[in-house]
Amino acid sequence: MSQAPRRRAVNPKEDCEQIPLYPVSSRSQNTSLPQTNVDYSRSSYDALALKKDSEEARKPYWKKKETLWSWTTGGLLVALAAIVRFWGIGFPDGVVFDEVHFGKFASYYILREYYFDVHPPLSKMLLGLAGYLSGFDGLFDFENIGDKYVDPAAGLNVPFKGMRSMPAVFGSLTVGVVYWIMRESGYPVAISAFSAGLILFDNLHVVETRLILLDGALILFMSLSLLSYIKFHQLRYRPFSTAWWAWLSSTGFFLACTLGCKMVGLLTFCTIGTAVVWDLWGLLDIKRSHPLTMEHFSKHFLARTICLIVVPFGVYLSFFWLHFKILNRTGTGDTFMSAAFQETLMGNELLMNSQELRYLDTITIRHKETNMFLHSHVDRYPLRYDDGRISSQGQQVTGYPFNDTNNNWQIIPTHDIPDSGRGRICRHKDIIQLYHPMTDSYLLTHDVASPLTTTNQEFTTWPKADINSRYNDTLFEVVLVEGFEGEPWKTKSGWFQLVHVPTSVKMWTGLGTLPDWGYKQQEINGNKAHQERSSTWFADEIISDESLVANRTGEKEVKKVVPMNFFKKFFELQVLMLQHNAGLTADHPYASQPIDWPFDLSGISFWTDNVDNQQVYAIGNLLGWWICVLGLSVFVGIVGADALARRRGIQPIEDHLRNRLYNNTGFFLVSWMFHYFPFYMMSRQLFIHHYLPAHLSSALVAGSILNFILTETINYPVSVAGTTTRLRPRLRAVITKRAAVVLGILSLAVVGMFGFLSPFTYGSTGLTPTQSGYEQKTSFNLDPSL
Amino acid sequence: MQRGYSSRSDTHPPSSSTHPDLTFSTDYQDTEDLGLPLHHNPPSHHHHQQHFNQPLLNSSHMDINPVGGNPASRRRGKLGAGADPAEEIDNRGSGGGIEMRQFGVDGGRQGGSNQLERDRPGKERRVRPAFKPPAKNWKEFIENNSEHLIPLGYLILSMITRYWKIGKSNSVVWDEAHFGKFGSHYLRGEFYFDVHPPLGKMLVGLAGLFSGYDGSFDFKSGEVYPPTLHYTIWRMYMATYGVLMVPVGWYTARGLGWSRFACHLVTLMVLLDVGWLTISRFILLDSMLLLFTFTTVLGLVNFHNQQQDSFSDDWWLWLVFTGLSIGCVISVKWVGLFVTALVGLYTIEDLWDKFGDLSMPFRTYVRHWIARIVGFIIIPVSVYLLSFKLHFLILRNTGPGDSQMSSLFQANLNGNDFIQNPLEAAFGSKVTLKNVGYGGGLLHSHIQTYPVGSFQQQVTCYHYKDDNNQWVITPTWEADPIGSEDDIKFLQDGDIVRLVHAATGRNLHSHPVVAPVTKTNNEVSCYGNATIGDANDYWVIEVVDDTVRGKKDEVKKRIHSLTTRMRIRHLNSGCYIRAANGVLPQWGFKQIEVSCDKDNNPKDPHTYWNIESHWNERLPKGDAKLYKSPFFSDFWHLNVAMMTSNNALVPDPDKEDILASNPFDWPWLYLGLRMCGWSAEQSKYYLIGNPVVWWSGSFSLVLSVVVVGLYLFRGQRKYNDFGIGEWDRFIFGIKLSFGGWALHFLPFLIMGRVTYLHHYLPPLWFSVLMVGHLTDHFIFSNRRLTLRAKAIFFGLFAGAVILVFWWFKGVSFGIDGLVEDHWGLKWRKSWNIYN
Repeated sequence: MSQAPRRRAVNPKEDCEQIPLYPVSSRSQNTSLPQTNVDYSRSSYDALALKKDSEEARKPYWKKKETLWSWTTGGLLVALAAIVRFWGIGFPDGVVFDEVHFGKFASYYILREYYFDVHPPLSKMLLGLAGYLSGFDGLFDFENIGDKYVDPAAGLNVPFKGMRSMPAVFGSLTVGVVYWIMRESGYPVAISAFSAGLILFDNLHVVETRLILLDGALILFMSLSLLSYIKFHQLRYRPFSTAWWAWLSSTGFFLACTLGCKMVGLLTFCTIGTAVVWDLWGLLDIKRSHPLTMEHFSKHFLARTICLIVVPFGVYLSFFWLHFKILNRTGTGDTFMSAAFQETLMGNELLMNSQELRYLDTITIRHKETNMFLHSHVDRYPLRYDDGRISSQGQQVTGYPFNDTNNNWQIIPTHDIPDSGRGRICRHKDIIQLYHPMTDSYLLTHDVASPLTTTNQEFTTWPKADINSRYNDTLFEVVLVEGFEGEPWKTKSGWFQLVHVPTSVKMWTGLGTLPDWGYKQQEINGNKAHQERSSTWFADEIISDESLVANRTGEKEVKKVVPMNFFKKFFELQVLMLQHNAGLTADHPYASQPIDWPFDLSGISFWTDNVDNQQVYAIGNLLGWWICVLGLSVFVGIVGADALARRRGIQPIEDHLRNRLYNNTGFFLVSWMFHYFPFYMMSRQLFIHHYLPAHLSSALVAGSILNFILTETINYPVSVAGTTTRLRPRLRAVITKRAAVVLGILSLAVVGMFGFLSPFTYGSTGLTPTQSGYEQKTSFNLDPSL
Repeated sequence: MQRGYSSRSDTHPPSSSTHPDLTFSTDYQDTEDLGLPLHHNPPSHHHHQQHFNQPLLNSSHMDINPVGGNPASRRRGKLGAGADPAEEIDNRGSGGGIEMRQFGVDGGRQGGSNQLERDRPGKERRVRPAFKPPAKNWKEFIENNSEHLIPLGYLILSMITRYWKIGKSNSVVWDEAHFGKFGSHYLRGEFYFDVHPPLGKMLVGLAGLFSGYDGSFDFKSGEVYPPTLHYTIWRMYMATYGVLMVPVGWYTARGLGWSRFACHLVTLMVLLDVGWLTISRFILLDSMLLLFTFTTVLGLVNFHNQQQDSFSDDWWLWLVFTGLSIGCVISVKWVGLFVTALVGLYTIEDLWDKFGDLSMPFRTYVRHWIARIVGFIIIPVSVYLLSFKLHFLILRNTGPGDSQMSSLFQANLNGNDFIQNPLEAAFGSKVTLKNVGYGGGLLHSHIQTYPVGSFQQQVTCYHYKDDNNQWVITPTWEADPIGSEDDIKFLQDGDIVRLVHAATGRNLHSHPVVAPVTKTNNEVSCYGNATIGDANDYWVIEVVDDTVRGKKDEVKKRIHSLTTRMRIRHLNSGCYIRAANGVLPQWGFKQIEVSCDKDNNPKDPHTYWNIESHWNERLPKGDAKLYKSPFFSDFWHLNVAMMTSNNALVPDPDKEDILASNPFDWPWLYLGLRMCGWSAEQSKYYLIGNPVVWWSGSFSLVLSVVVVGLYLFRGQRKYNDFGIGEWDRFIFGIKLSFGGWALHFLPFLIMGRVTYLHHYLPPLWFSVLMVGHLTDHFIFSNRRLTLRAKAIFFGLFAGAVILVFWWFKGVSFGIDGLVEDHWGLKWRKSWNIYN
């Protein structure tokens, strides 16, 4: 531990790329190290080159030729990426694809209105910030795709270019990060630039990062997580040094940011987690040359736990803390949340209107999910349904969307209540009857199959005159959601389930619509299922109390916002997000299957203009994506062949190359697998842009495989030597002329393909004469309306 | 050392606690090592031990000691790098030691003869048991034959439990309604269709035949059996498969080399699990599925035990036995593929190990491959094919399953009238159109409309015969209608037609609207009526070929029913009508989607159609000869149809199926399943497991993960917990049990289809094996525990299994009267055993 600073003092300019050929500090060197084991024979350098190389190595870092060259290239790449992304960023000047959602969410941050979404808030907050900085007042509702941002007639001037700049900056930086990752992994400048180019000139990346969408930030943070971990891993021979800590915690920080953008960030966690477990398992090995003691190992373990689990969790929490702090007013997201949560929002209806219910109050009751009123009318169920089943022929009970006196129900006590006072309040788990004044009957359910859902019980009413014969079947228990003993039942906030006492079914309604005899109203029935979220109802309004005169609504006072524990809020939202994310199963014409993604088979039509025949169509660079797929399969092939050969005692690949192939390219492959295969298990609707993180990983694989094939050399080692590290000869990768030519041709082809597809990316070129040609050549499912 | 069975089971040879790594890593000494380091343990010592410890090889499934070669050290090469001859010797010695512990009955007499064999490395010869003197008294006889007398005892117990009051319920219980009916179909020879392969149902039919049943009963659920149907005998035949599970369980446990305590425990669990018991007592497929799963595992375990003695008679015997078991298990239900996958993974690992054995001659390695291809692929596939061949041979008459098969196949069934179809189709003919693609159905439409797209009337592909499948070949709107007096106009290649749905009068229609499932295709619907329509109703008939007359050129344009294969192109859009097993959602009644494919893919049989039924009063009845339908085509066709129907068994979100359960409900017995009506008058059967068996099984699976993790962790820090060879044996048991369980359980999580509690009965066997493996490892073979402690543990565990079985026996044997009168059966709140 204490040696690290001393070593830095000796050679302060030392960088991970510059591994000295001689012991840096001979005093601290373990003399028993087997120096003679250094094997120069495999190096492709002659003595002269070695000498030149070591001279070069002695120069200060920033004066080295390669450094300058490397930084220039990186800077150029980022600049180029920015040009490609910012070019014509003001077109289309209307809402494109999911800007409908994310633009809207950004405006909610500016208006500070609470909304609900399945994605964590970071990326949307950043978009909101972009809107704020560019002077957006939040007063644009992003209603439909194609709505114009700028309309001088209506005085509308949304600074959408500013909002789109934020993702574009992120997208440009991502290119730089990819280049950096490849450089840090020891690949030559040209190869690294090629990998970055696969992202730079990728049509899908460009489209996704020049619009108001979440993916720009997600991909940037994801790539930064990978980069930080690689930097951290380079320092593995100098554990617990400052740099080591810095990169470790930055890994954790960026992981949290990735997760803060979208739930796919969990897959990045899995990638890094796998690498960490692999690393720890190696540290645990007692057969290492310098085995760790258990205490030492525990320190390693603890450091990673803190930096990669505890810190990210805290960062992730802070996003939500900010989210709740900003959004403190009532908004569209209120109804998703629990009553307690809603009471934390300024101006919320519950806060304004929630009142305790007393016996003999006449109320209206609504279904929470579909907002239908509990309704009954004099018409009866037909004796015989079409399928031959027989009903009770009782009075219909339905769900009805409009205000109507037939929606009124009176709460009838089943026990003695005092003449006045708190005893008249209806409470959690009280047993009540519901009286329907218009037809003079009581709500009832019994063991008769309901009209549409044969597994559920029919709901009907029973005339008051004959109530004694069916008294028990009219008893219902009011069970408040998460209610406690003695909790009063309130309007609006008092969500409840109505449980039938004799049969314990719950009043429930799905989306079933009754036939003509039921006026196409919604079917209401008794559901036997124990866990059914959709059986939640609430009392909407008190129509009148028992005197039928005094309307209590006049007495209400406006209540203050009730604070709620942050963690409770966090967990409530977290659970809801996961539930709703899994529930996104609706059909979408441009949804696609994971199997299509790597091959770039079908994209998404983001925006179309029928007048000028323009279209923004999100599709990846065909050539680039196929190079990535090829890279993945070649890698798997090489590893498979190597495994077979080594099983037979043949070592076809030199050690340092194989190490890099397994540990570095293997890491990229793991990242690709984690960001890709879990989608096969997701039943929610999927789009090709979900493949972007995986595509980035596959571009890294493609670059390193290309390096393996073209050069068969590598910058080695890339790790910073520690005090006890056995020193190895330093190798530099060489790009031969032939390799350069191949790379050049490939790059030109990729850029060419980008140009070929760019009319879809920028949407600014009228397509009519050529579009059919595109469709045939690429077999994309373009918008058929053009 | 040889003081009898029990003490031997406690004793380990000292060498067995030495870690192999010690041979090449001298800088590290494990302080916790209980035994002697290797170099203190000269080879002669081992030979001495073997001399005494060599087991009597009186059982065919017994482990044979490693002889010659170095496979054991090769396998271990994964744990510690490298191997040297000293290790091999050591390994053999300890291997012998383990077996002494396992098969310790009157060992010690055989060592001398075997030692010569083992001193000749590289010579692969099987060690044969020497002559054994006849038993002198009963005690000796029992001792000599206990290997088989114990399972015989279990067999008798098993017969008692399985046959006990088996005929008590005189009505059709649960899925007897299906499988009894399918059995009847075999007796009547009527072609039916089901999602399961035929072997199990043929055996059901065979048992029915033996019980004197004539196939006349229609097996309505809950119906009382007629007096002529000897359902008791029939059920006993079916229960016999369940009876055999118990001894197979015993032999499997023995094959895994556990102590007798563990073997007894596992066999008791098989015997006394009420889930396995209940499912075996009715006319169902599960008893067969379970038995063949058990025999596959038995085969695999014993084949593994023959590893060191490759290509010996026993090795071949178990290879073929495993292959036959696989064949049977996959021919009963496709769930058998999971246990097949287990064998497959084992084989891959084994061949990978052998691939790394540089001393093995290439020819030997190839022989290993060929043997496994024959045993594990060719034999099972043959069994599977044979079962289908028999299926087709027996079911010669037309029946309810006809329309799943190709038109040609149906024409060959007795009682089918396709042969009387008019041969050549003409305008005005009423036809049904059959999709030629594997598992294809009939073009169908019904009054219901699409809830998406155009909202016009649905067009689907349907597998059952129905008037809604009929279409009338009609001229275009512009062409002259063909009256009953006009000349007959035969349908020819290239004709433009309108296809009118006979039942609703609407026209087959397509337009550029996205199809409901296959988004890239256009929708096909039914639109208009006899007067309303447009050019989107026009379809072009394109002949592909004719199965009798040959290629298109030779067809001479006219279209024959049954044999002419054609494609139907939409005139305006140029797309081809296609039905490719995409299942519509509930609104389409899970029928097959029909769409119009814009990609012209002339090789796609899912765009091929043929005329199946054909009615035209003006044409003479056909007299075509019978055209044979090739077996492999029928076989493949039926399998695709089974696959399609299986995939269509998805849970209906609108309906709540009280019988269905979620895979996560199974391991901890969250739900039970009522198998029949719950009235007081009838005997009630409740499918639920023995909680001790199921819970301990699931617990041991969890424990195994922890234990393996811990051992790996300790291994990485070089703590020696295992003797040489012991780790291999330990990890083989874990891999077998956990792998088998995972392969049988995890697929249900991703499967879209409805799942039921009885789907957990095959994986349960692997969880029970895990109980045996872990108890053997930690308790019964633990040399630190006394015999007394082991006996107490065994007594408690086995006692709990027995008592809980006794407590729950009613759910298997039938609960009479009010179920509420039987107190204390509801152990979890979620069980619906009480009303």
